Amino acid sequence: MAGISTHVLDIANGKPGAGMRIEFSILENGAYRVVKTVRTNEEGRTDEPILKPEDAKAGRYELLFHVDEYYAGLRGHLPDPPFIDQVPVRFTVFDATQHFHIPMICTPWNCTTYRGS
Amino acid sequence: MTSENVPGYMPGNMPESVPENMPASHDQAPSRRRLLGAGLVLGPMAVVPMGFAGPSSAASRAAGASGAPATAKAAPGKTPIPPVEPSLTVHAIDTYRGETEAGLRFDLSYFENGGYRLLERFETLAGGRTKDPLLNRDELKAGRYEITLHLAEYFSRIGARLPQPSFLEEVPIRFKVADAAQHYHVAILFSPWNYSYYRGS
Repeated sequence: MAGISTHVLDIANGKPGAGMRIEFSILENGAYRVVKTVRTNEEGRTDEPILKPEDAKAGRYELLFHVDEYYAGLRGHLPDPPFIDQVPVRFTVFDATQHFHIPMICTPWNCTTYRGS
Repeated sequence: MTSENVPGYMPGNMPESVPENMPASHDQAPSRRRLLGAGLVLGPMAVVPMGFAGPSSAASRAAGASGAPATAKAAPGKTPIPPVEPSLTVHAIDTYRGETEAGLRFDLSYFENGGYRLLERFETLAGGRTKDPLLNRDELKAGRYEITLHLAEYFSRIGARLPQPSFLEEVPIRFKVADAAQHYHVAILFSPWNYSYYRGS
């Protein structure tokens, strides 16, 4: 299935990253234009795909994960000083018939992303 | 692994109780602590990696030779970790090739007045580090930074066969420096399909 999806995992707490704000942007004319802002659900996923199969097209995209805001909002888990800021993941959809799953695995001190499935 | 093929250790007098994960002699900071621990446990049978000349090696031999209870020697024998000069350093590791080729380009920017302003452009040496710190003690200040890795250019140059345009092209790495009196090491692992970064040491 084509399109774009994500999944946030808070591995500092061993649970899905629920309620994280993510801005989805597309690169147009040399600048990223925000298409929509979403929040992850209790599973750390989004209720709707970031980009639905029927809307998929090749291009350059950004998912801006507000990891710093997420940890600042968790009581009892506010490291001082924090290290991870907002995390922009910029990637290319080079084939609109393929699915692009972009997981975000994070703690206040590190993060990882990859092309998932 | 048997005692005969533990790198960096003298064969022949290795007790059977030596842990298999004894550090190599070049792994300095952990090896000092773990070596000392090994010396205290093993007593006179303790061995020291060849070429190791750290201050704690003498301490561990002395502790072992004296035959005194380990607990009595542990506290004073601990080697303090020397303070690290405040600075910003980077190590970018190519996990696709297994070693970073020289010439990975990246840009360092600092967030001010609502945007990221370019401070300086860098290139890695072979291995993924830079010749000098990105920012030294006098230059490092608290705030928000961004390192942009030019990955598409790098993988194209080393001949990786990837879709064009590739999945990852220019990768932004953002992080915060809260205390400019500390050393900040940004460790980055990257391949054409994933990356990870963390505050290292």
